[in-house]
Amino acid sequence: MNREEAPGKSPEEMYIQQKVRVLLMLKKMGSNLTPNEEAFLRNYAGVVHSQMSQLPQHPIDQGAEDVVMAFSRSETEDRRQ
Amino acid sequence: MSLQMSEAEGAVKVEEWQQTFYAPDSGIQSGATTIRDEDSVSARAGESATDMEAQYSLTRAQRVRAAMFPETLVEGETALTAHSNPDQPTNVQRLAEPSQLLKTAIVHLINYQDDAELATRAVPELTKLLADEDQVVVNKAALIVNQLTRKEASRRVLMQSPQMVSAVVRAMQNTGDLETARCAASVLHSLSHQREGLLAIFKSGGIPALVRMLSSPMESVLFYAITTLHNLLLHQEGAKMAVRLADGLQRMVPLLKKTNPKFLAITTDCLQLLSYGNQESKLIILANGGPESLVFIMRNHNYEKLLWTTSRVLKVLSVCPSNKPAIVDAGGMQALGQHLTGSSQRLTQNCLWTLRNLSDAATKQEGLDGLLQILVSQLGSDDVNMLTCATGILSNLTCNNARNKALVTQSGGVEALIHAVLRAGEKEDVAEPAVCALRHLTSRHPDAELAQNAVRLHYGIPAITKLLGQPHYWPVVKATVGLIRNLALCPANQAPLRESGTIPRLVNLLLKAHQETQRHGSGAQQTYQDGVRMEEIVEGCTGALHILARDPINRGEIASMQTIPLFVQLLYSYVENIKRVSAGVLCELALDKQCAEMIDAEGASAPLMELLHSPNEGIATYAAAVLFRISEDKSSDYRKRVSVELTHSLFKHDPAAWEMAHAAMPLDPGYIPDGVSALVSGVCVCFCLNVGVLTSVTVGFIEFIHLKSPSVTSPPSVSRVLHHVKLLEIWMQFTLHMVTLIYPWMASRWTLSYMSNICQK
Repeated sequence: MNREEAPGKSPEEMYIQQKVRVLLMLKKMGSNLTPNEEAFLRNYAGVVHSQMSQLPQHPIDQGAEDVVMAFSRSETEDRRQ
Repeated sequence: MSLQMSEAEGAVKVEEWQQTFYAPDSGIQSGATTIRDEDSVSARAGESATDMEAQYSLTRAQRVRAAMFPETLVEGETALTAHSNPDQPTNVQRLAEPSQLLKTAIVHLINYQDDAELATRAVPELTKLLADEDQVVVNKAALIVNQLTRKEASRRVLMQSPQMVSAVVRAMQNTGDLETARCAASVLHSLSHQREGLLAIFKSGGIPALVRMLSSPMESVLFYAITTLHNLLLHQEGAKMAVRLADGLQRMVPLLKKTNPKFLAITTDCLQLLSYGNQESKLIILANGGPESLVFIMRNHNYEKLLWTTSRVLKVLSVCPSNKPAIVDAGGMQALGQHLTGSSQRLTQNCLWTLRNLSDAATKQEGLDGLLQILVSQLGSDDVNMLTCATGILSNLTCNNARNKALVTQSGGVEALIHAVLRAGEKEDVAEPAVCALRHLTSRHPDAELAQNAVRLHYGIPAITKLLGQPHYWPVVKATVGLIRNLALCPANQAPLRESGTIPRLVNLLLKAHQETQRHGSGAQQTYQDGVRMEEIVEGCTGALHILARDPINRGEIASMQTIPLFVQLLYSYVENIKRVSAGVLCELALDKQCAEMIDAEGASAPLMELLHSPNEGIATYAAAVLFRISEDKSSDYRKRVSVELTHSLFKHDPAAWEMAHAAMPLDPGYIPDGVSALVSGVCVCFCLNVGVLTSVTVGFIEFIHLKSPSVTSPPSVSRVLHHVKLLEIWMQFTLHMVTLIYPWMASRWTLSYMSNICQK
């Protein structure tokens, strides 16, 4: 771990960055935010802007996947006509 | 031998008859009049009566003859009637038809006996001739035998002779003459219409010979061979095995390329008889290109019986895991879909069952637009078989296929499926696939929201909620909770779902399923009911409640049902999906401050901290959000710990975050920079540990000097030095205590992070 290469981010800035990231991901997943959280994002709009590009592009939580039903388990013989 | 008797023969017969036991000449053939005592003219009646009776007698005989042998009437001659009342037929008239029948039967019997006798006399000789070296002789013999088979009596004699049947079989397979082969094949074909004949053919090794004939270049031989084999497969025990052993399938499948529809109908029926319940036969058909040929027939023919027999073969093959993809790849779905709207009910039904079997292998097929639209229209049927198939096919074809989902949605599929659910009642074979199809339509495609709204607009929510009630059929319950979860994604559906009582039903199901999982122990043991794992029900119900909790009123209702302890407990589940949905629902509930406090009171922090490290982004995000929300009123140290844990999880790839984490940075602006606080902490610790040592060393040094040079360490000087050292000691200890009071844990935290830094390196 090379401490000399660390960018000059304060812990406070790091905390803000983390919280912005989590809140943005929550919004992406369709969850609600509290009024304080919405205000937080407004206050740190610059961080929001920088974090938006770093969010994963794929859907994160869409619920259970579709599943096929296997019908062809047994044969049924129909009456010969 | 003609069945028709000429008059001369008839006369001869009559003469013979007269010499038998039978009655004296009745005059039928000879024309002699019948004289009866009662008809005798009485002398007492006088000459006119005698004349009249004589006339009647003559007429009656003629009339009887005419009635029984109308062919003997001379042209223009008619039978005179005693009287001409049409409402009261005479005895002769009444007996005319029965007499005709009796006559015909007697003639047949006479002929039958003749035929039988003739055949019996001929069979031994013909048997020998069929084995003759001269092919011309064999050919002639075969012709005669073929002619004998035209009559029932002689046919029976032939089939009762194993030697004859064997000779025919040998002649058929050994001859190089096509005509001989044709005759012989025709003989076997004729014999195959009776059970006795089938047995005779079977015992004479006819099956391998007939299979070989399937390679004949002569169409008529092919026809006789396939038809005879068909009769054997239908009615002769052991024939199927014999045909398989003789490589019959390998010879039959190439015949599917013929064009004659009736021939193809028999061939496909043979394939169905051979492959039903026999996996090896299905694989042989596959290996010989059967699926492609069968699909070709479905696509290019319109003879109903052929389509029906072919669909039956496809239905049999559609349960084979190897044949299934081959049929689909050959365009089977599209070809079968062509025949769903015809007038043949049996064809439509067979195609539907086959499509249903194939559907799970066709989820990525293109070109099914027409089929999907037809299936949507069939959802309006009252036929339960049709409903079962249509819902099942739609369920699978909409699985993970955004295009099909959109098409079905736009074609009115949502409304049609809701009606199918309503009509299904307790028929799970309809309800389950219908609900699954609705679940597919309401998620993961551009028109999902349209479908979610359509369910509500077509009054589907109450019907769907009702499916959660008892008796529970768990596959339907599982599909329904998934559908409800999707429906709740639409804000307009939240209130209707609540009003239909969805939330208490979901909570009760969740409790019941969770109890089942707990009853059977924790860990990897899974509990099944109706083939469904209870863990799936737990996941599904919690997932639905998660989305329902996005509505504030629903949120309150969910929390009021004492669900928070259960959700916190579910954070410990070994099933990752359950962790995700329980973290998700807690995240929504934590929006409310009171609920956030309850969550914290249940000890959710510990499992949530662990979940921050989950490789699942959703889980980690929900866990972080819950921790942020429950830590709003917590100490800064707690929030710092969360931040550090986040850095080790969600942000572990961020070097700056690592640096900050290992430097143990504070979270609030009130914190002093880390470097200075670390220095102060270190100095304090050092002095705390070392100041007493310093004083002791100083005292010890002075005593040593005093012992060595007492004059140097005069009491006043020593006292002054010791006094100053003690003052220094007291001041430093005081300072140290003040520092430790102001910055609690400073020394230990610095030590810990210093140690962890060492470990990371």
